[in-house]
Amino acid sequence: MTFAHLARWLLTGLVLFAFVVLLVSRNSYSNQDRESPLAGASVLHPAGTDALGRDRLVRAAFALLLSTGGAVTASAVTTAAAAGVGTLAAFGPASVGWLAMLVCDVFLALPWLFLLMMVRSALPLTTSPANSAAITFLVLAALGWPACARAVYRGALGLRKAEWALQARAGGLRSGQTFRYALPNLLSLLLPQFLISIPAFVIAEANLGALGLGIGEPLPSWGGMLLELDNSALLVQTRWVYLPVALLILMLLLLEALVAEV
Amino acid sequence: MILAQPCAGQAAPRAAGELAWTIGYDPKTFDPAKVDDQESELVRYLTAGVLLRFNRSTQKIEPKLAESWNLSSDGRTLTFQLRSGLQFSDGSALTSRDAAWSIRRVLLPATGAPVAQEFLSPGGVTVETPDDQTVVVRLPQRVIGIGKVFDEIAIEPAGHPSEGRITAGPFVVADYRRSQYVRLRRNAHYQERDAAGTALPYAAGVRLDILDNPEQEARLFQRGEYDIINGLPPDYFELLKRRLPSSVRDLGPSLNTEQMWFNQASSSPLPAWEKTWFQNRDFRVAVSQAIHRADLARIAYEGHATPAYSFISPANRAWYDSGISAPHEDVAAAEAKLASVGFHLRGSILEDASGRAVRFSILTNAGNAARLKMATLIQQDLAALGMQVTVVALDFPALIERLMHTQDYQACLLGLENVDPDPNAMINIWLSSSPNHQWSPSEKTPATPWEAEIDRAMNQQAGTSNEAQRKLAVDRVQQIVADQQPFIYLVYPNALYAVSPRLRGAQPTVLEPGLVWNIERLRLQEAR
Repeated sequence: MTFAHLARWLLTGLVLFAFVVLLVSRNSYSNQDRESPLAGASVLHPAGTDALGRDRLVRAAFALLLSTGGAVTASAVTTAAAAGVGTLAAFGPASVGWLAMLVCDVFLALPWLFLLMMVRSALPLTTSPANSAAITFLVLAALGWPACARAVYRGALGLRKAEWALQARAGGLRSGQTFRYALPNLLSLLLPQFLISIPAFVIAEANLGALGLGIGEPLPSWGGMLLELDNSALLVQTRWVYLPVALLILMLLLLEALVAEV
Repeated sequence: MILAQPCAGQAAPRAAGELAWTIGYDPKTFDPAKVDDQESELVRYLTAGVLLRFNRSTQKIEPKLAESWNLSSDGRTLTFQLRSGLQFSDGSALTSRDAAWSIRRVLLPATGAPVAQEFLSPGGVTVETPDDQTVVVRLPQRVIGIGKVFDEIAIEPAGHPSEGRITAGPFVVADYRRSQYVRLRRNAHYQERDAAGTALPYAAGVRLDILDNPEQEARLFQRGEYDIINGLPPDYFELLKRRLPSSVRDLGPSLNTEQMWFNQASSSPLPAWEKTWFQNRDFRVAVSQAIHRADLARIAYEGHATPAYSFISPANRAWYDSGISAPHEDVAAAEAKLASVGFHLRGSILEDASGRAVRFSILTNAGNAARLKMATLIQQDLAALGMQVTVVALDFPALIERLMHTQDYQACLLGLENVDPDPNAMINIWLSSSPNHQWSPSEKTPATPWEAEIDRAMNQQAGTSNEAQRKLAVDRVQQIVADQQPFIYLVYPNALYAVSPRLRGAQPTVLEPGLVWNIERLRLQEAR
């Protein structure tokens, strides 16, 4: 069994475990057990509680699912958008291709962090935590496609000049018609792009959360939980503060291993 | 996508006999007349020579550069008798001419000194110097606590304002590196001596590092780079208590308050129905009753805070009134109160009489862990009433923009630092015409009868010197505030300090500047 296989099983196991934790636990991610803030491990809170008495295990499990789910969705959106733009640019008229790549370059040149900050600060203050999470990943997806689109464009251009495409055109197919035969050939390019984007989005969301711009309280997010590590006063009180960062690193490692597989 | 971390700064090397601690930001000015922010005020406190000093420990006025002073019976003439042989830090003589010049400079509108407002009508004040040692100040009207105003007026060489470089106080500004440090040097010509006749101050200098990072501050304090921490956050208090038990001091409730308020301004861009909620007394009282203040103190402050129901802290012995009846925690009463004014539950969501879900956000400033925790605890407390609350942390400039300019916010959670125990110092918060009247700033006429009554009572206490009458008027204001809850008081944070075991002479007080009010007598124990 390769490491990549192991990674796949571990990842599935981790996600399943998170689901089980959420189903089985009597605590919710926002429930504040005010009698035991910053508690150690106990029967009721197997990984202790945070500064507000919320169950760490439930919050970490929820953050794991939320961030993975959000990143996978964002990544799917990004890859689909990139596939659309990239192939359109490659198979369309030259002017369309030129314009599409120009738009890509503009997007790549944008200072995305400031853009995200602007988008977040323009949201109404009463944006609910769930909406803030959806918007965060949507914005990440909206900003993530250009690099991927460039890769797809290169790949699609190569296909357009491939011998089978030349033959098809010689046989009377128009450029637009060869497009649908090109798409399956692009899969080997799109799948890694899809997989690469997932950990990138997980990290991006964690960064935004650490800046206070990501998912709103009381929804748990990696960024918010990692912020606790900046406080040595907390670290001496409970070792469980390290749980989220350990889980996050494990997740990222496994996700990267999946990319290596394809 | 890498998160940039500000690189961990190193404290500047320490000069011999120098005390060191941190300030949160660059002082906005070194001109003692123009001080309007906390850090500039600290520098002024450490450097300025003043006629009178308000003793932070005894809470009494003491003569400083003045040998004696008196206030005429009509409260309109002050006479200061200067000490003889006074000198500035450059060795030049300090006479009544310098004192008069410095007072006049503060009074001039062109100077724009915030202190001038405390004279009520600064334009009518005259200053005379009958001889080299005497200064006579005549006021057009009586001013409550006029002695304390002179605690804020630095005496500078006449005609040569020096931004703290030539002073008559214990220290002078020696060096300033933007966003790094302010360095103060001992004033060798300072007139005061201790009981044994040794010249004060003991310390050779002071270095104020500009650092707004409690984590780093606590680390450098433990390494002995800093001698004190003023306003220690509660979580770091617990950390230092474990590591250096003898270094931490909890003086109990400070004069400061943490409060939450709803935006009641009728000119705000909020929808009409939200204004109706926030202007409704029963709505505000219900919110106040639903908040578990004991939990806020215990969890957000790790027990280093006291539940608050009024703007005057129990630390303020002269003005605290335990007879105020404020709405205490009672969720059932809160529900009944909301029901009585047409709010009802649909499922688990509270709706107003016209069926609109009660949803609002609480703003607070980013970077204050205790406030963010309080807001999150309140979020859950109010969820019990069916209110959907979002917590939003904004950086300070963005927060002030919303509070003061656009007024585009629903509720806000912030603290108020009280430097002066006399409630007259808070007059700019209570008068409805004031821009600092946070829940509805700069009202042309009081918007409600109770605000008009607060105006009356505040003006009444400002206009008389009869202490019993003043106390009655302030008690009246406290009762109206408790009944109407324009500010929902949450906790009085405790005054928390850390003092290096090497530091001698520390006598912490709850009044600003806390640990360093007796800076002349602080010194480091020599290493053996």
